[in-house]
Amino acid sequence: MLKKKLNLWHVLLIIIILGAIFPILFMVSNSFKTLRDSYGTMLNLIPLHPTFENYSLLNKQVNLLGLTWNTFLMATMVTVGKLLTGLLTAYAFRSYQFKGKMLIYLIFVSTIFVPFTIVMIPNYLVISKLNLLNNIIGVALPQLCDATGIMIFLKTMEKIPNSLIDAAKIDNIPNRKIFFNIVVPILKPSIVSVGAIFFINSWNEYVWPTLILKDKSSFTLPLALQNYISSEGGTNFPLAMALSTIMVVLPLIIYLIFQKYILNSISNSGLK
Amino acid sequence: MQNKNKKFLPFLYLLPTAILLIVFLIVPILYTFYLSFFDWNLIAPTKEFVGMRNYLEVFTDPVNQKVILNTLIYIVFLVVLNFLFPYFISLIVKFFISKMQGAYKVLFFIPSLFSLVVGAMVFTWILNPVSGPLAYVLKNVGISMPNWSNSGILAITVICFITNWKVFGYNFILLLTGLGSIPKNIIDAAKVDGIPKWRLIWNVILPMNQGIAIYVLILTIVQGLQYVFTPINVITTGGPYYGSSNMIYQTYLNAFVLYKTGTSSALAIVTFVIFLILLFIEIRFVERKAKNYA
Repeated sequence: MLKKKLNLWHVLLIIIILGAIFPILFMVSNSFKTLRDSYGTMLNLIPLHPTFENYSLLNKQVNLLGLTWNTFLMATMVTVGKLLTGLLTAYAFRSYQFKGKMLIYLIFVSTIFVPFTIVMIPNYLVISKLNLLNNIIGVALPQLCDATGIMIFLKTMEKIPNSLIDAAKIDNIPNRKIFFNIVVPILKPSIVSVGAIFFINSWNEYVWPTLILKDKSSFTLPLALQNYISSEGGTNFPLAMALSTIMVVLPLIIYLIFQKYILNSISNSGLK
Repeated sequence: MQNKNKKFLPFLYLLPTAILLIVFLIVPILYTFYLSFFDWNLIAPTKEFVGMRNYLEVFTDPVNQKVILNTLIYIVFLVVLNFLFPYFISLIVKFFISKMQGAYKVLFFIPSLFSLVVGAMVFTWILNPVSGPLAYVLKNVGISMPNWSNSGILAITVICFITNWKVFGYNFILLLTGLGSIPKNIIDAAKVDGIPKWRLIWNVILPMNQGIAIYVLILTIVQGLQYVFTPINVITTGGPYYGSSNMIYQTYLNAFVLYKTGTSSALAIVTFVIFLILLFIEIRFVERKAKNYA
């Protein structure tokens, strides 16, 4: 009677959290161990003799700064492109009645159901014709628009009261100004969260870049990391963990800052 | 003049998206459809018309048959791990606990932030049958870890677990949001009537949450089959002997490793048709919004 019965479901949920987080802790902790140490004390999450050896070795083997810069630049291009096209498209849907509106909307919805394999060969050929192989612009170019972004922006824009836009129209404020000075500022939270999600996804992207970037100097971080796995079994895991750790820092920081916005946007994307 | 201008404006806003969609989505789909009737190797100056032969090969070639079967196995595993499991947990969080819901959301989502290459790398080590920590722990209790990369079905299981690590939190949040949008008075009424929780969930909550559940289920299949590409390519490259390949991965192998553009395109078209069937289900049950624009 003194205490409410302990809710056993929390035990299950905490086990799931451990399952989700343990691999990250394992990765970070082993990246600070020497190869020999890691095999002896693999499961010690706090390294006995912390060392930056793996990081300095990594820095000798690959151009860390170049890799990070390539990845950052590519993710930025993709993010800016997707935000711009998404905002413009959503604004057209919010503000105008036009023929074929439903058809265009359904095409946007359908794009999520297009497997990348069906556009892979033609897009590869186009990028190759444009001489953009081994160039991050070639990676970014085919993915400058995204249906999920359009949907989320549209949902937020529909909450803007008509009276606000109408008042601006009566005052003869040009459309361009309504878009940039009224709509975009109201949408700031969505833009930030959707932008953060786009950036993180693009930062992590692997499939399309492997087709376009073959030359090591053009690699992004995920491609460089993949090079550290060896099918023959001789993988230097602590070294790979160091590169993995470098890869997860930026997404984690973005999440720490914008966590609330990001989770809200994801929730919204599912509400139809 | 004014009127004409107005009619033209929305299309101006749609123009960048339209150009990108036409150049990098619609035309490529049509071109892949065209390629699926030809024999080609991505480089040769001429393509040989072969009619339906590539499609015949998709369904009669033993390797492709194996890959189609694998795809079905992947779908079953993905639905259980990435849909049913998070759905169960979201029901627990919504109806069986009262505290820390926000904290669970924030923590469950963390792995979704990370690249599947990182996930593949970390799990390859954790699950390494010789030198991994799990093998070490199991050895201490007298169990030897199977060499999973030598078995197609075990490799598929591991690969699905890796994607589960990444998508669980994301799907959990979507499903929890759906449950959150069910009117509270319905739940309260059931409580007053003393209806057991599981009966309430089964008879009222699940049917009411059907829209978002179908959405997540379909997304799990469509995106899941593509997500597994990364761990397949990083860990097994489809092996042992195509044992862990699926239709998506086989399409890639045919195009960029075997240089059989025709087979690759036919596989891509067949995959697309399957996804389109799922899309029709989605539009039928989920996209109520489209009607607003009719």
